[in-house]
Amino acid sequence: MKTLFPVIATTALLSIAAPVFAHAADDVAPTTLTITVSNIQAMSGSLQIGVYHSESGWVAGEAVNGAMVTVDDVNESVTIHGLEPGEYGLKMYHDVDGDGAMSTNLMGVPLEPFAFSNNAMGRFGPASWDDAMFTVSAGENSHAINLH
Amino acid sequence: MKTNRRETLGLMLAAGGVASAPGMARALELDPVYDSFERARLTQPWTLGMVDAPAEGLNGTAELFHGALPEGLSGVLHRNGPGRFSRNDWRYRHWFDGDGMVHRWEISDQGVTHRARFVQTNKWRMEEEAGRFLMPALGSVPPDMAGIRGPDDMNVANTSVIRIGDELLALWEGGSAWSLDPETLATHGVKNWSPELSSMPFSAHPSRDVDGTIWNFGADPFREQLVLWRIDPDGSLRKADLVRDVPGGMIHDFVITDRSLVFLIGCDRMGEMQLPIIAGYKWQDNIPMRAVVFDKEDWSVRRDFDLPPGFLFHFGGAWEEADGTIRLQAAIADNADFAYDGAFRAMRGEAGSMDPDQSRMRHVTLRPGGRVDIETHEDLFAEFPQIDARFIGQQHRHTWHIGQHRHTPDETSNIVRRDGSDGPGDAYDYGAGRNVEEALFVPREGSTREGDGWLVQTVLNTAEAVTELHVLDAMNLSAGPVASWRLPYSVPLGFHGTWTNA
Repeated sequence: MKTLFPVIATTALLSIAAPVFAHAADDVAPTTLTITVSNIQAMSGSLQIGVYHSESGWVAGEAVNGAMVTVDDVNESVTIHGLEPGEYGLKMYHDVDGDGAMSTNLMGVPLEPFAFSNNAMGRFGPASWDDAMFTVSAGENSHAINLH
Repeated sequence: MKTNRRETLGLMLAAGGVASAPGMARALELDPVYDSFERARLTQPWTLGMVDAPAEGLNGTAELFHGALPEGLSGVLHRNGPGRFSRNDWRYRHWFDGDGMVHRWEISDQGVTHRARFVQTNKWRMEEEAGRFLMPALGSVPPDMAGIRGPDDMNVANTSVIRIGDELLALWEGGSAWSLDPETLATHGVKNWSPELSSMPFSAHPSRDVDGTIWNFGADPFREQLVLWRIDPDGSLRKADLVRDVPGGMIHDFVITDRSLVFLIGCDRMGEMQLPIIAGYKWQDNIPMRAVVFDKEDWSVRRDFDLPPGFLFHFGGAWEEADGTIRLQAAIADNADFAYDGAFRAMRGEAGSMDPDQSRMRHVTLRPGGRVDIETHEDLFAEFPQIDARFIGQQHRHTWHIGQHRHTPDETSNIVRRDGSDGPGDAYDYGAGRNVEEALFVPREGSTREGDGWLVQTVLNTAEAVTELHVLDAMNLSAGPVASWRLPYSVPLGFHGTWTNA
């Protein structure tokens, strides 16, 4: 069992609270997204995961949800609750040194492992929304990411 | 049975229309660049320098066919250059894209041996496994390319080498150096100077100062900045830092004086990030070439100069006078046509693409107050200028460079020495069917006189399909080589090397 901390600002948490209660009230199985991350190289630090719900949010870096997963195995997983069915994208990096930020070199090039949903790859930058976007349906969902 | 793609295409067409089956289209599409080069190989001997070398590398003994090894000359010549241009019948578009192959020529009274290995970059290992190119290169985007996470994913380590202590570094200009064993050429991995300098560009033209300090730079044309590197003689990092507001041209080399680090930035400028990366550079018609001079001891102190439009890859030497006047030599062209056109055409095997009507040796004087004087030698195409490295940053007379007359566009067969700003008083022409590579000056042991020593030079003999190694008396080129060896095979044309005495 992994530690799960919301890493996104309180406003984002508040915005997802309503659907959770709505589902509970209707006694319908809640929508969940289980993210499985494989091929983790360093057994230290944490995975920092941001969940995005629109192209504009993806580009602007405005996550609607998120998770922090302490790393102690080459494979880790986490389940995100309270999502509305729809289109989502994930940005993730492995905060190997545990300093809470993506380490970069003097020119700003990322030095810690990162990945996007669909294992989409960028070209000298983040992957595009079109490449990273996937659909979350009502009920249980899973998404696998290979961190290389 | 092993068939290549073209044979497969022929078989399938013979079988009758199978080639039109859905899903086969891409596999059967003939790469026009690959096809053009393969056709050119049949009739154009110069293309031999751009043929793929064997993936496992090469080992050989060179045969002495002329003269004798001069007494006192003994050591190792390491060289680097692009050696792999195609995979899965798909060919790189630009000469500078090929994967780096490092050569080790050992010269002793026991004879001359040769070893060559591809640098085992991440890119090389992944593409060997995949059987096709996966990564974009400077001038190419392969079909179905994979994504990239950082500059070292596309690092081909193909441009030069430098020996620092027990390490041989294979150099590129867009990312890290790669550490190799100087004897076996086995790849240790990426050279990491410090965590915050990981993946930073470490150019292929570091300068070793008279006191052993190594100066280098790395260019970030997208943000118009450089990283400057200062490495102590023992190989430890002294300092690395960014300097800003340096125009984003293709900056390949720089030159040092006793006080300064001198850059010349041609009239190309990086615009939007795009693939291939080289497509982002655009020639600007109405801007000057820019010189930027940094104080070695304080990188915040700089002087800028405007020069007539031009473009360059390589400097010879430079020195600085008491009043701050800087005198330098460089091989400068009026335009960047070779980088942005000729090197593409060369990959297609187009005759005339190695056009000598390009760079000329020029003497540039940067004077206090901003005045610039340029003297151009129009007599010959000039590239790979070299000086007697004992005089780096100091006043000196001699510059050696490869040269060519305009009537043989696909062969550069001359080695030239210039004395001061005189014409080529001393030169040797290897003759038709030879393409010369960079010549390095090796001083005679015990001597301190400038120019007293030898040139060590590799030459591609396209007529006989072998690579040769020659030693010339650096002050008497016109007498021809004093010793010449040939391998039983040819190797692709390389870029730069370094000499280490035995």
